[in-house]
Amino acid sequence: MIKITNLEKIYRTEEVETVALNKLSIEVKGGEFVAVMGPSGCGKSTLLNILGLLDDPDAGSFVFNGIEVAKFNERKRADLRKHNIGFVFQSFNLIDELTVFENVELPLIYTGVKSADRKKRVEEVLDKVQIMHRRNHYPQQLSGGQQQRVAVARAVVNSPKLILADEPTGNLDSSNGNEVMQMLTDLNEQGTTIVMVTHSEHDARYSHRIIRMLDGQTVLENIMV
Amino acid sequence: MIKNYLSFAIKNFRKQKLFSLINILGLTIGITCCLMLFLFIQNEFSYDNFHKNGKNIYRVMRVGEMNGEKHEIPYVSAAYAPALLSDFPDVIQKVVRVVRDNDLISYNNTSYNEKNVVLADDNFFSVFSFPLIKGNPTTALKDPNSIVLTETTAKKYFGNDDPMGKILQFNKDQQLKITGISKDVPVNSHLQFDMVVPLEILRPMLPDWFTNFPNNTLFTYVQLKPDANPGQLEKRFPVFMDKYLGKYYAKTGAKMSLIIKPLNKIYFASDNFDNVKHGNRKMVYIFMSIAILILLIACINFINLATARATDRSKEVGLRKVLGAVKKQLLSQFILESVLFATLACILSVLLLQLLMPAYTGLLGYKLPAFWSNPWFYIFILGVIVIVGLLAGSYPAIFLSSFSPIESLKGKLKAGSNGAFFRKTLVVFQFSISVLLIISVVVMMNQMRYVKNFDLGFNKEQSMIVRFDNFDISRKKKQFKNELLTLPSVQNVSLMSGEPGGFHDRYSFEAESNPAEKYLLNTEFSDLDIVKTLGLKIIAGRDFSENFGTDTTQAVLINRTTAATLGYNTPEQAIGKWIRNITGDSLRRTIVGVVEDYHYTSLQTAIGPLVISPGKDNRLALIKLNPSKLKSTISDIKKVYAVVAPDYPFEYSFLDDRFDQLYRTESKQESVLSIFSVIAIFIACLGLFGLSSYTAIKRTKEVGVRKVLGSSVENIVLLLSKDLLKPVLLGACIAAPVGFYFMNKWLQGFAYRIEFRWWMFALAIFIALLIALLTVGVQAIKAAMANPVKSLRTE
Ligand SMILES: Nc1ncnc2c1ncn2[C@@H]1O[C@H](COP(=O)(O)OP(=O)(O)OP(=O)(O)O)[C@@H](O)[C@H]1O
Ligand SMILES: [Mg+2]
Repeated sequence: MIKITNLEKIYRTEEVETVALNKLSIEVKGGEFVAVMGPSGCGKSTLLNILGLLDDPDAGSFVFNGIEVAKFNERKRADLRKHNIGFVFQSFNLIDELTVFENVELPLIYTGVKSADRKKRVEEVLDKVQIMHRRNHYPQQLSGGQQQRVAVARAVVNSPKLILADEPTGNLDSSNGNEVMQMLTDLNEQGTTIVMVTHSEHDARYSHRIIRMLDGQTVLENIMV
Repeated sequence: MIKNYLSFAIKNFRKQKLFSLINILGLTIGITCCLMLFLFIQNEFSYDNFHKNGKNIYRVMRVGEMNGEKHEIPYVSAAYAPALLSDFPDVIQKVVRVVRDNDLISYNNTSYNEKNVVLADDNFFSVFSFPLIKGNPTTALKDPNSIVLTETTAKKYFGNDDPMGKILQFNKDQQLKITGISKDVPVNSHLQFDMVVPLEILRPMLPDWFTNFPNNTLFTYVQLKPDANPGQLEKRFPVFMDKYLGKYYAKTGAKMSLIIKPLNKIYFASDNFDNVKHGNRKMVYIFMSIAILILLIACINFINLATARATDRSKEVGLRKVLGAVKKQLLSQFILESVLFATLACILSVLLLQLLMPAYTGLLGYKLPAFWSNPWFYIFILGVIVIVGLLAGSYPAIFLSSFSPIESLKGKLKAGSNGAFFRKTLVVFQFSISVLLIISVVVMMNQMRYVKNFDLGFNKEQSMIVRFDNFDISRKKKQFKNELLTLPSVQNVSLMSGEPGGFHDRYSFEAESNPAEKYLLNTEFSDLDIVKTLGLKIIAGRDFSENFGTDTTQAVLINRTTAATLGYNTPEQAIGKWIRNITGDSLRRTIVGVVEDYHYTSLQTAIGPLVISPGKDNRLALIKLNPSKLKSTISDIKKVYAVVAPDYPFEYSFLDDRFDQLYRTESKQESVLSIFSVIAIFIACLGLFGLSSYTAIKRTKEVGVRKVLGSSVENIVLLLSKDLLKPVLLGACIAAPVGFYFMNKWLQGFAYRIEFRWWMFALAIFIALLIALLTVGVQAIKAAMANPVKSLRTE
């Protein structure tokens, strides 16, 4: 599903030049659950942003579902993204002004799903993450774990083929964290490909494969059994 | 404590550069406009206030009635003054007669055609407070052959030499000795002059003029005794009028009464054709409302941005409260901050005002007195600081200081939503004002264009006016005309008493249709060529013609309205009937033709009855030119003039310009309003810009999330703009009916006016929306284009 080769990303500020990804090559097959680990600042988030078509690489190739997308423009990337990829962030990133329902509904609006269908789909996923009873609450009124469940619901409502999660449990206590990990595992079992960045060896154990990074390069790949 | 607040305010200013700049800029522009308008308004209301005896000085006016409407006429004859003084010695202390004149003044070999000469009684300088720099105010005008110059005029003739005692030549045949130098006449005086000559100088030439009662030529001012009752005096006037004019009125059928008008009421009185400076109260009120509205718009910016920023400051407020600040202290802190802003804006405004003063002078058409020596100016500024400081500061202050410490410390106050409704309401208000101004400008522009392109019923193009403003040209007007007609570029010349748009006398007439009735009709005294020269249309009968030989003494033309006034059903019926000017003609004249109505007055009034009568009272020549070779034509005419009146400079104007000048007030209103509506919408947009950049910042994260979820750039722009454009649109819709109401009132001032059209409102709303959209859109696009990764990183 994903094949990147010799991918480079360099951040240039006035004086410093940071090589965030240094000729990185990775392949992720459809249906895999991959964890990315490594010390802070090694380029994990950068990688995830590129995989999520939020950012473009400076060099290298990125083939997504058989299409070379490294040179895609903003519009094409947005189009590909909204139909294929869901995101879960460490800090949830829910919109404060919208209710739980409206937050989850948002991706469906952007992909042009009809109102009646939207309602059905949103209710389905809210049910699945067991937050249905809070559908009219605002994010501020929920606990961290609840907020992350809403975020997961929002990520999957469009039935994306790929879910990218950047430290999804980073802001949660262990029981809430486990709950979210369980949700991701369930999704993976239903066929969704998942790439997850994490600092926690415990969480990484939910995955099939761990990619370990250092200074923008892969140093090791463990296959979990 | 204060020091702590001050340093905090400065820190805040630095931290919030954009918002602070927008606030200061908006307030500065708003206050500058206010100061400008204040200076104008104050000057308008200060007219004639500088006379020490001002409270007791009145101008004598006659009041005539026509068609049930009262007309005040400022002119009386010279005979009134001595009669008033001798009949009311118990009430009237002094009387001074003043007449404006145009004279040729020479010194050595240079002469000037002085247009601003005042002939006055010798007590002129003791009744009015026009201070003399040199000379004695009570005796300067005692000798009929004396003259007082203003400082500037003296400079013009004598440079730095001492003018006192020097001899000036007056209209070539009289010698006047300079007996005084007066300070230049202040701007805020309705009487303006460059030199004053004793009225007595006319007595040898015009002995009758001083004793004839039925004659309207000069202003008469009375100074009442300090304890006199002006109302009581006016009650005694009917007897007075009957005593001196009873017989005359019985003969003509006209009847006039007499009133006295306080000196300080003259400036705003709308007497036409009295040739002194007049103000327009309506315009003053329009200016005043604009000043207030613009300042309001600027204050709203301040309030809006301050409350929008409030959430950013909630931590500070919470902390201060936790540390023991009470609400009152917080209130005074925030108010102090806004007073500080207002003060800074005022200082900048004064600098800006100084910079803009020349341009403002150009716009007004005259120089206002210097503002830095005007104590009211400083009082006004202080007032602005206090009012703006309180007005703009109190709401944000109350709003901010009421935050609960726990909530604000926790950062629980939801970004931007606090007071959002209030802010939007204020934006609605701002834009309704802006759109109101734009609508006014659109309507005014259309009306003025309509007026300028209106078919006036005569041909105003290529028509030169040369006024007979001296004896030489008046005496030789026939020769002047004949020589002009030899020029190939001159098509026609007509000598007449008043050009279209100019002054037309009004006389009592009797007519064949109903000999018992007396008709008040406007008159035009011309030669036989007026119809050709003006391009009038004869609708019945014939034009004047030399061929009849008797037309000069026995014929008149009337306009269509006169025919109707006299009771004829069709213009044809009037032909061959007689009519007589009771005062002007001893014999009856025959109506030989009827001309189609033409606009001999401005379009503000409907066309009234007019009698065109061949007569000697010609005050100007109207010269119809061939369209080509205008430059050489003018110099040819100048040569002819130089032959006829060699001592006088050749001066001319054009009929179309003259007609445009009738709408000077309206044109000025239009240009002032356009300028200030641009400023109003600019300040409003400045606020909108602040608000939109604030929302853009506040919603960075939201925008990031939405983009991650697949929203397009257009979607985001729409999302961010929609919120702010809604109040703009609402404001525009509120402005439409209000604008309709006010502009309808304004248009009532014109007898001929445009219809309202829906597109005028649509255009105004469209302009406002477009500008607002651009303002908001720039911010929205910037926010929407940002890389979502960056905005989410900041979390
Ligand atoms: N917008 C940026 N501008 C400049 N440098 C950046 C930018 N974003 C990331 N970097 C740099 O690139 C490198 C990789 O950053 P990245 O966020 O991918 O690290 P990370 O592995 O996700 O770290 P963490 O585990 O702390 O989240 C870091 O050195 C970071 O400082
Ligand atoms: Mg990271």
